[in-house]
Order: sequence, then structure tokens, then C-alpha cells
Amino acid sequence: MMPLSAYLTVSVALFCIGLYGLVQRRSLIAMLIALELMLAAASLNVVALTTLASGAQGTLLLAPVGIGNRSSVGQVVALILIGVAAAEAAIALSLFVAIQRYASTINVEDLSELKG
Amino acid sequence: MTWSAAVFWLSGAMALGGAALAVGLKSIFHNILGFALALVGVAGLFLTLGSDFLAAVLILVYVGALAIAMVYAVMLSYPLDTQPQPRRAAKVLGAAALSLLAAVALFVIVLGADFASSYGLIDPETSARWVGRRLLGDYVLAFELISVLLVVAMIGAVMVARKARMAKAPPTPTPRMIG
Repeated sequence: MMPLSAYLTVSVALFCIGLYGLVQRRSLIAMLIALELMLAAASLNVVALTTLASGAQGTLLLAPVGIGNRSSVGQVVALILIGVAAAEAAIALSLFVAIQRYASTINVEDLSELKG
Repeated sequence: MTWSAAVFWLSGAMALGGAALAVGLKSIFHNILGFALALVGVAGLFLTLGSDFLAAVLILVYVGALAIAMVYAVMLSYPLDTQPQPRRAAKVLGAAALSLLAAVALFVIVLGADFASSYGLIDPETSARWVGRRLLGDYVLAFELISVLLVVAMIGAVMVARKARMAKAPPTPTPRMIG
């Protein structure tokens, strides 16, 4: 078993690579890819923490804490995150297609009509 | 080195290497392939945490559906024959500085925090069973809301993409009432 800090380190690195891509890239699709990487890092964090960190005895998110029980709470949260990410990506990709048809580009530096 | 540690190192390298490919390469197709590789790595990390069901769902949704949808979006929207403009050095440096700053801050927080770490709590045989009980027990409202959200997102995506195409189409002559 790897310690919790190893998972958190990987998660931080993944999140910061995604942050770099989100700020630096110009294509909207590349920015969406970077955003999904950040979301994956967040769900990895949730699962690792609920699986490996033994907090105080008591309740976690209103659920009684037990073996397998606690980890499943984190897995459910991660599943919901995946569902939200899928919905968000579907909307985003269709918006990109619409923007491409309207402005003939999905380069964010060219999409500056609203810039003051 | 145990099997679990070996899988952890392999998956972590895949996740970080794939992420680096996904943001570093110039071609958008290579970015999508790197994204798929990174998500396979994250699924491997989930496997070492004993969440096998979650790993399978991650591969199905991200690699199987999302990467393919991105390829379709690239096909529909990307001018692939144009040469990409060179990246501006100021933007690259600013982004690198920002992410390095965030990385340092997060590392200080994460490695300085005192999580009471515990081992041996993973029971993969009952993992999927517990997830199912949670989803249809305490979290049934979130489960139902996610299904509603997915339906709304699907219909919305179709409407957004379709409306744009109709707006672009040449105006059709309006039919006149005769008689």
C-alpha cells in the first residue's frame, strides 16, 4: 500500500499541469482537456482521502463510518463528479461547434468581440 | 516492491506523462491521445485504491465517450490544414509561473497536513456493492439529479449545435399562401 501523501502528490501535480494548460492554451478544445484533467485530479483526491485517511471516529457526511463504507462515500462523490464532467463536456463541445460556425475560429485570442 | 506499489508507480507515471502530453504537444489530436492516456493512468490509481467499479466507469466515460466526442468536435470545428501560430513567450512564462506557484502552495498544504493515515481498510470485493447501496440509499437524490442533468445536457447540446447550423444555412424562401 502506498501512503496517502503519494496519492495527494500525484493529484497536485496533475492539477497543476491542468492549470498550466488551461491558462496557456488558445484552442477551446485544448482548454477543455486541461479542465478535465483538473477535475480528474480532484476526484482522485476525494477517493484517496476517503479511502486512506482515518479521520476522527464518528460520522462522515452523515454516514456511519465503517470498513468499505467510508470508501464507498468517496467513490459515490467521484461518480457524481464524473457525471457532471460528462454533462459539462457535452455542452462545451456543442458550444465549440456553434462558435466555430459563427466566428470560423475557436482560438480564444481571436474571440474578443466583448473585450472593452 | 509489492504489486500494488508497482501498479501505483506505473499508473502515476502514465497519468502525469499523459497529462504532460495533453497540454504540451501542439497537435490537438495528440493532445486528445495524451488525455486518454492520462485518464487510463488515473483509473489505474483508482484500482490501487480498491475502487474497481470507479476505475471501469472512468475508462468508459472519459476514454470511451469523452475522447471520442472531442475527436468529433475537432473534426467539425478545427482547421487542421493551417499552421499553428507560435506560442507567445510571455503567456507561456506567466502560465508556468502561475502553475508553479499553485503547485508549491498545494504541496506545502498537502505535505504539511496531518492526516491520520490508515492501512488495510480496502476491501475491493465489496467495493461495488457498497457503492450501489450508497447510490440507491443515502445518495439517491444526487443519483436522480445526475440523470436529469444528463438528459438536459444531451438535449441542450443537440439544440445548441443544431441552431447554429440552421442560422448558417441560406435563408429559405418563405412559402406564400395561395388562394
